[in-house]
Amino acid sequence: MTQTAAFFRVEGTLTERTALAAAAWLASNAQGLGERFARLGNVAIAAPFRLAGELQTGAAATRMTWMGLRGMSEDRLVLLCEEYFEKYVKDDVLEVGAELVKQAKKQGRRVVLISDNVDLLIAPLAEQLGADDVVCNRLEMRKHKATGRLEDPVIGGNVAGQWARAFAAEHGIDLGDSWAYGASAADSLLLSAIGQPCVVNPDRQLRRLAKDHDWPVVEK
Amino acid sequence: MKNGHSHSNGKAVKNGKNGANGAGHHGTNGSGGGHDGFVLPTTTGIRTIHTPSVREAFAGKHLLVTGVTGFLGKVWLGMLLDHVEDVRKVTVVIRGKKGEDATARFSRIVERNPAFRPLRDKYGPGLRQLVADKIRVVEAKLTAPMCGLSCEEARALTSDVDCVVHFAGLTDFEPEPQQAIDANIHGARHVADLAALTPTKRYVHVSTTFVAGMRQGAIEEKLERGVSPTGIRFDPEAELRELELGLTQGSSKKERLDYAMGRARALGWPNVYTYTKALSEHLLEGRTDVVTTTFRPAIVECARSYPFQGWNEGINTSGPLVWLLSTAFQRFPAKASLCFDIVPVDTVARSMMVVVAAALRDEAESIYQCASGDLNPLFFERATDLCSIALRRLAEKKDEGWFETNVIARLDAQCLDDVDREQILGFRRMREAARATRNFLKDFELSRVLPPVVYEKVDGEKMEEKIRSFSMKCRTTDRKLGTVDEMLRQYRPFIWDHDYRFRTGHLKAASERLSEEERALFGFDVEDICWRQYWMHVQVPGLDTWCLPLLRGEKVPEDEPLALGEPEEVSADGVRAKRSAADPADSAETSERAMRATA
Repeated sequence: MTQTAAFFRVEGTLTERTALAAAAWLASNAQGLGERFARLGNVAIAAPFRLAGELQTGAAATRMTWMGLRGMSEDRLVLLCEEYFEKYVKDDVLEVGAELVKQAKKQGRRVVLISDNVDLLIAPLAEQLGADDVVCNRLEMRKHKATGRLEDPVIGGNVAGQWARAFAAEHGIDLGDSWAYGASAADSLLLSAIGQPCVVNPDRQLRRLAKDHDWPVVEK
Repeated sequence: MKNGHSHSNGKAVKNGKNGANGAGHHGTNGSGGGHDGFVLPTTTGIRTIHTPSVREAFAGKHLLVTGVTGFLGKVWLGMLLDHVEDVRKVTVVIRGKKGEDATARFSRIVERNPAFRPLRDKYGPGLRQLVADKIRVVEAKLTAPMCGLSCEEARALTSDVDCVVHFAGLTDFEPEPQQAIDANIHGARHVADLAALTPTKRYVHVSTTFVAGMRQGAIEEKLERGVSPTGIRFDPEAELRELELGLTQGSSKKERLDYAMGRARALGWPNVYTYTKALSEHLLEGRTDVVTTTFRPAIVECARSYPFQGWNEGINTSGPLVWLLSTAFQRFPAKASLCFDIVPVDTVARSMMVVVAAALRDEAESIYQCASGDLNPLFFERATDLCSIALRRLAEKKDEGWFETNVIARLDAQCLDDVDREQILGFRRMREAARATRNFLKDFELSRVLPPVVYEKVDGEKMEEKIRSFSMKCRTTDRKLGTVDEMLRQYRPFIWDHDYRFRTGHLKAASERLSEEERALFGFDVEDICWRQYWMHVQVPGLDTWCLPLLRGEKVPEDEPLALGEPEEVSADGVRAKRSAADPADSAETSERAMRATA
């Protein structure tokens, strides 16, 4: 039986905080004082790459974002992510996004959250929103310490389109009748792969794209 | 498998001394009538598997217990009364204290101490009846020969005792040596004398894993009499005699302590506590008139679930370390790779139930170690990491001010490894700086420095008030640093010098033989501990409620006394006694201890 789904790119449609902000916050809460600055600097290297746009830099920007956490303990990361979620995500979910999730669920669609954040942060959000699937990055751990690498496949805006097709094939989802919600230009690959794209609080580039393609635009 | 208390053969009699002494009490079952196990052929031969019941072992038995006013003793006694209803009688030996006789002291504990909360919740005022039926309080002084009892009294007391359990001890690391000897060596000897008078001669002795002394690596559950941790042969009796003789020559506590420490170190024990505990073990090992089972717990810490999550009492081992982490200290002088061997108090009490039950069945091994390092080790690196996050969450919850929450609580300490300890910590220099600042600010008057107009403008009086309070803070810091320096010196053997891995095979094996239902109640459950969850939700909040206030010279909460009035009222609502301020006598006692610890 075919099913329909609603794909949400978390950053921009559900929260305003980017993966870079999360990584920077985690880095700034490392154990040692000096360590915090070093890690922050490491995360900051990723910033220009991200600004250049995920479409141009591919997964590299995403990988670099999380590189600064190398060597942090699993305990600390798990607990800090809990804290980050409680403080900055839980009560700050964008109303418009939450409403769209609610609607999608009402219509019987499978709600899939896509994010370039790490699972430790996204899993509680998925639980809060009642999402069915989460597709996000995972920090590779060795001996209970982060290696600074992400587990494959690395999820970033640029791969969301290919990934959505594979996901649909695997789960018997009719992409033609599914919805996708994105907020930045990098999400255009995801949006164009899916029958019913919708743009939420778009950036300038995506707004233009939406206008060209006649995609619906939702603003808060 | 019904007749659990008549044990089977095979693995049963392991304690070598059983043959000589109380083994006749139960007898082995040659007839097979009371066989409670089944035999499995294995590759190594015939192995008997049976599920000995803890409850059945205790059924109808009379125990004599010392040290039930202590942290572990209370939890164990509470657990015994709560989970084993068939125990016939428990005689508790208590010493009166500060004008309070033993009975009053015990009643106060039963009625007010949080360790008995589950029992008060379960029985309400009916607990008094239960205690009256099951418990007999005997006032005795363990440090006196025969515990200060006359021969007839001792005989009458022990005539039908099935097992003697000795919890009492002095756990200070560096106390007045003679006191430690009296409590830990003579106390144990006198209680063993009582055990020798009982028909079955069973004696369960609570010691500590740290009798291992100056050794590294795996510490097996055994004791070689007259061989010290560093392998030196010695005569325990002679050692005790010489030690006591030497102590009489010392004119001050420092001299006596130095003498005792010197002897301890020469044989391979890092402090007076482990030295006296170990000597006691060696002396007991030589006795043939009792069947001794030694129980060695590691560092006993906050309860996971019994009597309730987080329960702890007094200034325990990790309290001061956690307090240190809660301050602005950046470098925690512990080796990251060292195992921090803590065990929740309820796990220790559960294990103790299994051990006493095994002793009652005459199946006990001679030594049981109860530690976490063997099966589920926690290393200092991880403990420090978890602790700092737990503390910062605690600070956020309490909201003690912006600076405390956002700066102090966020300065997370790290273990310092392979660095010159003294140099990094720089206690001396930090103290000097604090003292100099204090001296400078003490008589500082802003009005003398500032012109009156500016003084008025910046609200000089208020500023001066702030300066004064800061100068007081400097003085406190100076004192605290002194305390910390002293404390770290005492802790050094356990957080820096020795990496122990205490083997716990005996307890694990005993626990595995229990039925599933009993394993849930009494099983050795260290493998189930999730250290992250434990530090975040049990250990740090527990210490914050029950231990850290004492370090700050504050009171800890105590329960409302058990209601005297209508029994229905309390039991009908099932309302748990609410915490209130501690009663004056007890709080005085606890804060006095706190003062002693911080002084």
